[in-house]
Amino acid sequence: MATTSNAASPPGLPADPVPRTRPLARLGLLLTLPALLLVGLALLLPLGLNLATAIRDPELAATLPRSAALLRQWDGAGLPDEAAFAAVADELHTALEDQRIGGLIARLNFERAGMRTLLLRTARATPAAPVSMALPAIDPQWSDPATWRLLRRASLGITPLYLLRAIDLDLTADGTPIAQPAGQGVFLTLFARSFAIAIVVTGLCVLIGYPVAHAIAGLPRAWGRTAMAFVLVPFWISILVRTTAWFILLQHDGPVNAALLALGLIQAPAQLMFTRFAVLLAMVHVLLPFVILPLVGTMRRIDRGLLRAAASLGAPAWRRFAFVYLPLTLPGVGAGALIVFMMAVGFYITPALLGGAGDQMVSATIAGYVNGSLNWGMASSISVWLLLGCGLIVAAAYYLAPIRR
Amino acid sequence: MFRKLALIACLVATPAIARDLTVVAGGGGFQDNARKHLFQGFAQATGQKVVDDIYDGEQAKIAAMVKNHDVTWDVVMVEAPEMVRGCEDGLFEKMDWSIVDKAKFIPNGTATCGAGAVGWGVTLFYDTKRIPQGPTSYAQLWDTKTWPGKRLLRNGAKMTLEIALLADGVAPAEVYKLLATQAGQDRAFAKLDAIKPDLMWWKSGAQPLQLVGSGDVAFAVGYVGRTAKAAQDGAAYPLLWPTMLFSFDFWTVVKGSPNTTQAMKLVNYMTDAAPLRALAQDWAVSPATAAVAQDPAIRAKNKAMVAEHAADGLFIDTEFWVQYGDDLERRFAAWVAR
Repeated sequence: MATTSNAASPPGLPADPVPRTRPLARLGLLLTLPALLLVGLALLLPLGLNLATAIRDPELAATLPRSAALLRQWDGAGLPDEAAFAAVADELHTALEDQRIGGLIARLNFERAGMRTLLLRTARATPAAPVSMALPAIDPQWSDPATWRLLRRASLGITPLYLLRAIDLDLTADGTPIAQPAGQGVFLTLFARSFAIAIVVTGLCVLIGYPVAHAIAGLPRAWGRTAMAFVLVPFWISILVRTTAWFILLQHDGPVNAALLALGLIQAPAQLMFTRFAVLLAMVHVLLPFVILPLVGTMRRIDRGLLRAAASLGAPAWRRFAFVYLPLTLPGVGAGALIVFMMAVGFYITPALLGGAGDQMVSATIAGYVNGSLNWGMASSISVWLLLGCGLIVAAAYYLAPIRR
Repeated sequence: MFRKLALIACLVATPAIARDLTVVAGGGGFQDNARKHLFQGFAQATGQKVVDDIYDGEQAKIAAMVKNHDVTWDVVMVEAPEMVRGCEDGLFEKMDWSIVDKAKFIPNGTATCGAGAVGWGVTLFYDTKRIPQGPTSYAQLWDTKTWPGKRLLRNGAKMTLEIALLADGVAPAEVYKLLATQAGQDRAFAKLDAIKPDLMWWKSGAQPLQLVGSGDVAFAVGYVGRTAKAAQDGAAYPLLWPTMLFSFDFWTVVKGSPNTTQAMKLVNYMTDAAPLRALAQDWAVSPATAAVAQDPAIRAKNKAMVAEHAADGLFIDTEFWVQYGDDLERRFAAWVAR
């Protein structure tokens, strides 16, 4: 920038009158407004809402409003008074009659297995006064303070439960976080697997994309355009179509197995489908253009004179590459790798179609909570942790890798 | 120009216009034949236009419709535990027994929010062109030395855990008693663990036939109706009736449907004997309508009727899955993803 402004007003000539730049600057600011608005509406707002959904806990207060108010006043010691018992019994009964008990049941049963049975059994009954005696007769869990403390916690409106469950932790009856029993948690495994697959895919994409981009950047204009078309055309085809194509190619009696058998490389058809190999293959294929495109752009802008200068100073080919060319292409590598990594981490159609049960990624679980069990708290919590993990990994890569200029 | 504007006006106005009566089921050959005899039969009889759609049993879709007051499905065929829970959760209307004739169903063929639709089952099957002599029981299915290859089961706890216990030598009558205990659940998961690398999981009912057909899996547990149809069309798939698990699906009306009365009438039509008899000519349907289910002529014609083999199979316990479904499905999801 400094050189441009010097060029615009060389010494001896009058500088541009100041007032002319002011409206321009204001116009520039005005032009960035849509972008700022977009960032606000399309990024910060959903992000905030997502975080809010992860901790929101509205079901008990919405389904049993009187009970919720009474439970919030209760000190949590021993058992609550008769009024709370009566309110819970009465409101559960009405909620079942009005067919609106589902959300509360799902919420409480999610925290403690068996709550579904307890709540429905209670809701179907019409206990006589004193209710504090009648409810324990229906189910002894009503004389357990832990049941009441659970209800009290659920009446508060916010809960850490979803965020804890999403990293394999749990809440005790008293509301303190503990680790889930070994073998019950699954999310840490899923996070680790997702990040591992994304990192491997990113690495493979850079390794394969770099020479391709170098070759394309070195071609004459016309040829370069044709080569770019070869990269871009598959890019315009839907991910689903490309994934399904791999499905057909890799299946038991598919062309790949047929070719390998015909060449005598294998004796029986290999298991290619539903493997990690198939997932990586298809993901690299789908994501390769995202690393080639920025790399070609970067490589085309490199001044070839720098390489000739290095050669004239006696640097052999590998030195010219390692100390001149490679550092100059690193911004392109960084941009491409970042895009590929962020996209790979969120993949789930490809692993779902081509991978086995052990190749599923964490976003499939998010989709499952949204489409399957309608548990938005879990879906939001997992995505909060996923976003945080991505942020940490990208930040680490940014500080460790020599990408910064 | 004017035409374009009119078109846009039409598009904008569409949501306000009452939509067609929409009925949704699990697809496949049953739905192709039900479309002809049940859905369009009702349309012809009443002049009410009926369209149909397919889903994979995702209760969440219905829940989202009801919650957002944007109900685009009217009549849905659901599995029994989903019907019971959806009724409690307010996803389905209570059946209007003044429109639907309650007397025509087999015992247990009706519930607060459901009218018995059709029986369905799953059995083990494989391609005898690839494997001449395969396993004939779930115990043998676990023998991966004698019969190598992938085994395809449904992606979920329901049916899978029963199969695991049957494979472990538990008597069919004991399966649900055992599954209701922690020890029984652990035993089922341990049994699945034993052959986990050889197990694969299907989500849509078409996948067992596709993957056995392509040779990607050696053995699969898939829907009886579809397997029987494939066998009828020339595939060499034996139906192993002793491995059958079966249940009934129910017709339900989605809560808040704008066409509740027409929907109830459709349910009543689809469970009447006459259209079901017509359907039975094309498809081995096993209805919950007593007059058809117990008709000797139809039973003799449709050997693949689930009701014909009820004595061989295991009836999937609705109450058990209503009560334990949440926890076991969650545990299964964690197990399968590990």
